[in-house]
Amino acid sequence: MSVNIKEGWEPKILAFCCNWCTYTGADLAGLNRMKYPENVRVARVPCSSRVNPQFVIRAFQKGCDGVLVCGCHPGDCHYVTGNYFTRRRFMLMKKLLEYNGIDPNRFQARWISGSEAAKFRDTVTRVSEQIKELGPNVKFREGRWS
Amino acid sequence: MNDIETKLRETVKRLLADHTVRYVIGWEATRFEDKTRPAFISDSADTDRLVWNKYCVSSLAKYALDEQHSEGKIGICVRGCDSRAVCRLIEDKQLLRENLYLIGLPCDDKEMNICDTCTHRNPVIYDELVGEPVLERQADRFAMVGLMEAMSADERYSFWESNYSKCIRCYACRNICPACNCRACYADQERVGWQGKQMNTAQNQIYGLTRTYHVGDRCIECGECERVCPMMIPVMLQTRKMLKDINEMFGDYECGLPDGRAPVLGEYTLGDADDFM
Ligand code: SF4
Ligand code: SF4
Repeated sequence: MSVNIKEGWEPKILAFCCNWCTYTGADLAGLNRMKYPENVRVARVPCSSRVNPQFVIRAFQKGCDGVLVCGCHPGDCHYVTGNYFTRRRFMLMKKLLEYNGIDPNRFQARWISGSEAAKFRDTVTRVSEQIKELGPNVKFREGRWS
Repeated sequence: MNDIETKLRETVKRLLADHTVRYVIGWEATRFEDKTRPAFISDSADTDRLVWNKYCVSSLAKYALDEQHSEGKIGICVRGCDSRAVCRLIEDKQLLRENLYLIGLPCDDKEMNICDTCTHRNPVIYDELVGEPVLERQADRFAMVGLMEAMSADERYSFWESNYSKCIRCYACRNICPACNCRACYADQERVGWQGKQMNTAQNQIYGLTRTYHVGDRCIECGECERVCPMMIPVMLQTRKMLKDINEMFGDYECGLPDGRAPVLGEYTLGDADDFM
């Protein structure tokens, strides 16, 4: 499982952001001209509970080095209860991924509200740094995506 | 022939004669001394085909799904694990209790490894018990998971990678599992493309992880998935990991018991921990 890190390698990080909070937070970060790493790709989802745990495994399979799931703070969900299910789901999923050998930093979940532009910037910057330190992910990856 | 076997045959004969059930699912002998296979007895003249011995290991509950839309009762011989499988299917709204007649068989003689960690040797639900209840044993269900957790992340990854590299995706582990009772499985939805058809380790791992997650909070720990796997992949070691976490986070948790407890992933509380976030 050794990997040659090519020069200039940048991690691919997929951030699932809920339409009502985190995506708006990211938007606000943009409006305020905040700088955050380019290697984070934002995927807008209607609710953090839209993120099927299988999206996460598929992301690793298809070449992501880290995955982030973000949604509204508990109590703020646009659909009232969605993020409570997200919380349970990923609480177990994270442990299962670790059990299967994925580094805990490669999969993270966060609550970020629509007004927390700075928190969005800080979170993705930090995650990006952590993933850079870990290097490219080879676990679960399909050969042709490496 | 043993006493219980005789009693079982008499019971089934009686149930068929008075039309309580249309047929009974049990086990019968094969040409191999150490193997039995499921038997479907609808004629009271055939009841002598039924056997009860330490080789009666296949799970029978899932065959009842074929009768989901039929009228009248069918009989099923249930050991502890079969009865929990029936509970699972009833709780998942796949079967109606009133369409089943359960013939309970306490079980204390099986020689499979998986049975060493069994905590319900007596059926948890039944209509009629054949034989005497046996003593339940204490077992540490999560000892193996603990050993796995003690390994490093890379060691665990290599362990699962080498195991899943053998998987031939026969889906036997899915087909036998009482918790896998969806009418259409994600793995068969080719056009949606959840699961690639390529035979490579990455795809097998995706299958393995997804299967685990889909059944993890409803697994009754019957061990059938491991028994049927032709490639000897210890698949229950995955679901047991999820159950261990659930036990640690939400208190004692066992599935397939008639206690009306909902699967943990189907509900939430406001106070759930989010320290992982
Ligand atoms: S032990 Fe295996 S076959 Fe039995 S319920 Fe659990 S996952 Fe399904
Ligand atoms: S039974 Fe074994 S070989 Fe077949 S799909 Fe399941 S894990 Fe793979």
